[in-house]
Amino acid sequence: MAASVADQGRKDHLTGPGYEAYTSNALKLFAEHLERNPQGKLLDIGPVCQENIRFFARRVKKHHVCDMFIRLDRRLRKGEPVRQIWQELEYPPDSFHGILVWELADRLNDEDVHRLVRVCHSILVPGGMAVIMVMGDQISSTETRSFVIGQDYRVQLRPQPHLNLPLRGRQNRDVLSMMSPFIPAKSFICRPGFMEFLFQRV
Amino acid sequence: MLKKYKKVNPEPQVAAAPVASAAKIDRTIIGDQIFIEGIIRGKEDLLIEGSVKGSIEMKANHLTVGSKGQVDAEVNAANVTIGGKLVGNVNATGKVEITKAADFNGEIKAKSISVEDGAYLKAVIELEREPIKKFAQPEKPPEKPGEKAPSVPAKESSMLAGMDNKRV
Repeated sequence: MAASVADQGRKDHLTGPGYEAYTSNALKLFAEHLERNPQGKLLDIGPVCQENIRFFARRVKKHHVCDMFIRLDRRLRKGEPVRQIWQELEYPPDSFHGILVWELADRLNDEDVHRLVRVCHSILVPGGMAVIMVMGDQISSTETRSFVIGQDYRVQLRPQPHLNLPLRGRQNRDVLSMMSPFIPAKSFICRPGFMEFLFQRV
Repeated sequence: MLKKYKKVNPEPQVAAAPVASAAKIDRTIIGDQIFIEGIIRGKEDLLIEGSVKGSIEMKANHLTVGSKGQVDAEVNAANVTIGGKLVGNVNATGKVEITKAADFNGEIKAKSISVEDGAYLKAVIELEREPIKKFAQPEKPPEKPGEKAPSVPAKESSMLAGMDNKRV
């Protein structure tokens, strides 16, 4: 369908509110943390993104990918309970040196956020780090995006039109509260309302 | 008889195959009404639209799991394209391509990988590791007069441990 292809081309290059590229300091610190361990294991639970797979596959020994966004989307579309998706993250305790959560917490209700946090805390090694993002309430679209890492940690937000997920618009203090089992390490304001957080397991 | 191979000729049914880029290549197809259990070894490219359980050894050739394909197998191939369902470990000396129609669960070892947005994936990925370009000072092209830098790096808000709960 010519129209949809053209539309896709247009969407891939959106630069309006919520889509501007930015330089990610959180991802830079996170990648440096991973590079310190040559046998490092990373879990990415964000939307599947080949650029990110290539980026991290060079930095860790094993790169685990488990797209929880698409799993959540399928559950919601079928009207099935969301809680069953957490079975997908049943990895042994202390499995990973880093977890990329992206903005998943902003797509879940409070109950499932707590499940997510418990799971992440369990499967992260002590000293391991998690990256979380919140878009805040400044963005003009609730469309789901992937965070595509480019050269020198430039991040481009790419729309994921196949995903239709609610956006909760959590704030700074909500994230700090929900991530209470972790030590907050760093946070960065990318633009008003949009923040990156690095949390560390003790 | 459990096994049935069709030699492909460039006929209309091939054109309807889901992975269009490979449609003109001479290869073997396992059709969507075929179920095979066991070991497949071969020296020519293979498209699976049926069901295969076991292992697939074709170290010099290209394996494609088509949109109707359901494979539960250990795979050794030169290149692999996954456009259907594949459960198992994939070892490719070349490239693994995963389309948005793919449903993959397993491990991938490959030289390189491409993945379309929307693929349903639960995978462990090990790629041939190349030297990492350090995050050093980027080579800045000379700025033209009046040209604006693309954007300002994100601002560090604070060490969170001592952060108050002010909204930002």
